[in-house]
Parts: sequence; structure tokens; C-alpha cells
Amino acid sequence: MSSIDAAPEAPPTVRPSREWAQLAFAVAMALAFLLRGRTALFENPALRDWSTLFVSVCVQALPFLVLGVTISGLIGAFVSPELVERFVPKRPVLAVPSAGLAGFALPGCECGSVPIAGRLVAAGTPPAAALTFLLAAPAINPVVLVSTAVAFPGDRQLVVARFLASFLTAITIGAWWARRQGGSLLDIVKDDHSHEQSRLNTFVEVATRDLLHAGGYLVVGALAAATLQLVVPRSVLNTVADDELLSILMFAGLAVLLSICSEADAFVAAGLPQFSLTSRLVFLVVGPVIDLKLVAMHAGVFGRRFAMVFAPLTLGVAVVSAVVIGRILL
Amino acid sequence: MTRGGAATVLVCVGAIIGRLVQSGGFGWFVQQRMRIPLALAALIILAFGLYLLLVHPGDDTDHDGHDHDGHDHDGHDDHDHGRVPKVGWLMALPILVLISVAPTALGASAADRLEAITPLETTERFPPLSSDEPTEMGVYDFIERAVWDDERTLEGAEVRLVGLVVNDDEIDDGFRLTRFLVSCCAADGLPVQVVVHGLAEELPNDTWVDIVVTWRPPEVPYGESEGTDDIEADIVELQILDEPPADPYESPY
Repeated sequence: MSSIDAAPEAPPTVRPSREWAQLAFAVAMALAFLLRGRTALFENPALRDWSTLFVSVCVQALPFLVLGVTISGLIGAFVSPELVERFVPKRPVLAVPSAGLAGFALPGCECGSVPIAGRLVAAGTPPAAALTFLLAAPAINPVVLVSTAVAFPGDRQLVVARFLASFLTAITIGAWWARRQGGSLLDIVKDDHSHEQSRLNTFVEVATRDLLHAGGYLVVGALAAATLQLVVPRSVLNTVADDELLSILMFAGLAVLLSICSEADAFVAAGLPQFSLTSRLVFLVVGPVIDLKLVAMHAGVFGRRFAMVFAPLTLGVAVVSAVVIGRILL
Repeated sequence: MTRGGAATVLVCVGAIIGRLVQSGGFGWFVQQRMRIPLALAALIILAFGLYLLLVHPGDDTDHDGHDHDGHDHDGHDDHDHGRVPKVGWLMALPILVLISVAPTALGASAADRLEAITPLETTERFPPLSSDEPTEMGVYDFIERAVWDDERTLEGAEVRLVGLVVNDDEIDDGFRLTRFLVSCCAADGLPVQVVVHGLAEELPNDTWVDIVVTWRPPEVPYGESEGTDDIEADIVELQILDEPPADPYESPY
């Protein structure tokens, strides 16, 4: 699982730059301590408000992120692909829905499920079932549903809507893939690098990598949410919020651009209360199945050709599912 | 990100979040019920960081003699143990903001930016208020009674409210007593306000006060007047608080 971490990274020849990163971090920490309370800039009310919003989204999401990566670390250490594969039927007609349900039982965020899905294909699972799992696992697992319920305490039906719309998306894509035997699009899936390592070490490495990966993208999302609240004039936000179609398009775009972890995205959506529930449901359904980070990861694990077809298809199906379910339930 | 870099970021995040829980400052950002989940998260992150920092499994020699997948030049040849993507460094950003800007709870500037909210209509029956001593009440509850209580239990009763001062140029004998209603975290906070009258001098914005007030029933029913629909009250007693309350926010649930 540790290998398929997707986003192309710099070649090993730039090794010294890593030390620069650590040095830059140390300097930034020292500067932060030195500047605390000493510069008029930090008394600026807008900056202080922005900081409060930014930090609060990060802090609120953190426990959920930690819970998720702890579980993904345990899966990495104790669940072999063979074990998972034994529970997934071979025939697509049965495999697709059961893979969707397996997504419910195996909590994790999208960053964790991409490598798991890769392993499933490598282990001989029908690609359609693996893809269904890939789409369902990050969207409908208990951790994500609980964090959604916590983020929207007054709108319990949103949790149901999120579950249904995400499940519908996963099953639709899986069924479509099974029907056209699209397995041929999949490039060879890379094997895992299971070193002879202790389980504890595998656990910590998988968990921390997922934590930093997902945490980093969460910070990008929190930055965007806090900045949207403060920089974009209220009147513009309200104009967009008043137009349902514009809101839906904006949230679909945001979900793709921001690449927030599915365990944290509900808190970002809750931070934008002026928008309709349906448009925010679009954000919650699109985000876990497709975003910039995932496109990079899909290309890394399944190949570029696959990613080019999968991305627009998934985006379209997710938006339609969310709008349909939103219309019915919200 | 190297194993060392990942460990450094995690130890810093765990330590600062742990400190934020211990000092109670976490209440500026999220609700009180997040205390234990946050404390656990901080401990786990700290433990992860310390493990990465202190334990180095001896597979360093593994690197060059081991052709993992035959695609050794396709972006997977970052032979760090953790292979943590660079985006992980961003996790340090909220910590840097916490240390340098040292943000606190939402206050007057946020109240100016956001529109104050009015409670939705409720069919709830309100219990009568004590006439002996002031009843403690949330600002939201006060407004809910003022607007939706058909029996007008608030009339003539003394009520104790805690909130912060938000000055308004159009109010010359008082201020907008403000509290934020937070359902999840401070990012969704919206102000609730009662305009209080009967104060000679002006208090600075963001001063926390504990006040006893009596409701000033509107001349025209709320929602039917031409001007604002401010909920108004008269100050009976005012005490300046040195410290904000443990939970600066009110929760609607």
C-alpha cells in the first residue's frame, strides 16, 4: 500500500531539497514564536477572523482524520488483499453491489481506498467491483457519516442523502464498467511493496502517511473556505447562494479543486451556511469520488488513460445523483 | 517528505493541539464536546511522531538491492520509509497560524461582517420566570422568548445575560450585547444580538459583560415595524468580566 502513493514526485537526485524543507520549517516555527504579539499586522481584525475560521475547520476535522487513518493503518498492517478478495464474489452482477457494501464496512478516506482498490484488481477482483469499492468506501463509511452528522446536527436527512447519493454514484459507475467490460482500459496495477517489516511499523507508516497526505489537503480546503468567507464580498456569496444552479456548479467545482478528505469535507461545507443543502450535498458527493488529488492518484495507480475517462464520467454521475437525491430528500 | 520531516510536523501538531486542549483555548474554535476526541487525537499524533522519530527499522540496506516493481523510474522511487507526499508539510500551517497570529474567539469584527440571526418560529411553551431573582438565560433563548412567546413571560422579569460588547454608532446609550451561535465549529458561527440601553460611558468592543436586563417590549410587533427589528432591553446591572466564559459560544442543539 505504501508504494501507490501516486502523485508524481521529484526524482531522487534532488535529495538535498528535503533538508531545505526541514530547515524552512524550523525557521518558520522560530519566526512564528518571535513575531507573536509583536507586529501590528497580527492585530488586524480581518486577519484574526480569517485565522479563527481557518484554524477552527482544521481543529474540528482533526479527530475524525486521526480515527480514519488509524483504521487505514490497521488495514494496511492486518488485512491482506487476499483476505479482502475472498469476500468479494467473482461475478460482476453480485460483485458490484457487494463491493459497494464492503465500502461501508471498511472505513477510510479516499487516499486510503485508492491503493486498496489497486490491490483488489491485482488480486483478481473484477475491475468493476474494485471501482465500486473505490467510489463507495470513502463516501459512505461510518466515520464519514458520523462526521457529517456532527457537522450538520440540525439536518439529519443530509446524512441519509449523502449515503444514498454516494451509493448510487458508486453502483452506477460499477454497473457501467461491468457492462462495457472496461477492464481493458486498466493498465497493469502495481504490486504492493510489502517489505519484511513488523506490523507495528507498517501500521504507523501507513497511518502517518495517510494522515499527512489527507491533512495537507484538508489544510488547502480550510484555507479556501476561510478565504471565501472573508475575501469574497457577502453580496457575491449571497447572489451565488440565491441561485440554485450557480451554487451547484460552484460546489461541484470547489469539490474538484479543493481535494478535501471525505472525513473532513462536511465541516468545510458546514462552514458555508448560506448555501442550499442540495448544493452542499453535491460538494459532499463529488468530493470523495473525484478531485484533483484523486485524478493524480488514479493516474498513478491505474494509468493515465483510465484516469482521463474515469474523471469526467464520475463527476457527471456524482452531480446528477446528488441533485436527484437532494430534490427528493432535502 | 522524509521520515524525519514527517515526525517533526506530527510532534509539533500533537504538542500544540494538546496544549490547546489543556489550556481550554480549543473552545474558541470548536464546541466543548470535542475536548476528549481532540485530546485523544493529539496523543495519537504525538505517539505517531515520536515513533517515527525514535524507531528506525533497519531496512536501509534494502534500498538499492531490491527492485520493487520493475518500474523504478515512474515516480515510485522515492525510497523514504514513509513515502509521505510533500503536501504533508501544509499540516504545519494551522500550527504556525496558532502560534503567530494567536487567534481567539469570534468577536466584534465578525459580528459586523455577519448578519445577526433571529430564532425560527417555535411552538415551544415557555415556563414562567422567577420574580425574586434574575433568571440566567442564553442570549438566543432571550431573543426566542422575546419574539415567539405569546404569553409574554419575559415582560417585567429580570434576566441575567452574558455576552460581549459590540458598539454601534446609532446607539448612544448602550451597545449590542452579542453572542455567537455555533452549531459545529467557529466557521459556521452567526451572531445573536440584543440591543441594551442605559449605559452612560462607552465600553470598548469585545469587552465581556455579565448584565441583568429587562426586556423592552416593541411598540409595533416584531416584523411589522418600518425600521429595524432589534430586540431591545434596559440594563439593570452591569458587571465587566475579566475573562471570557469557558465556552464563548452558544449552541443551538
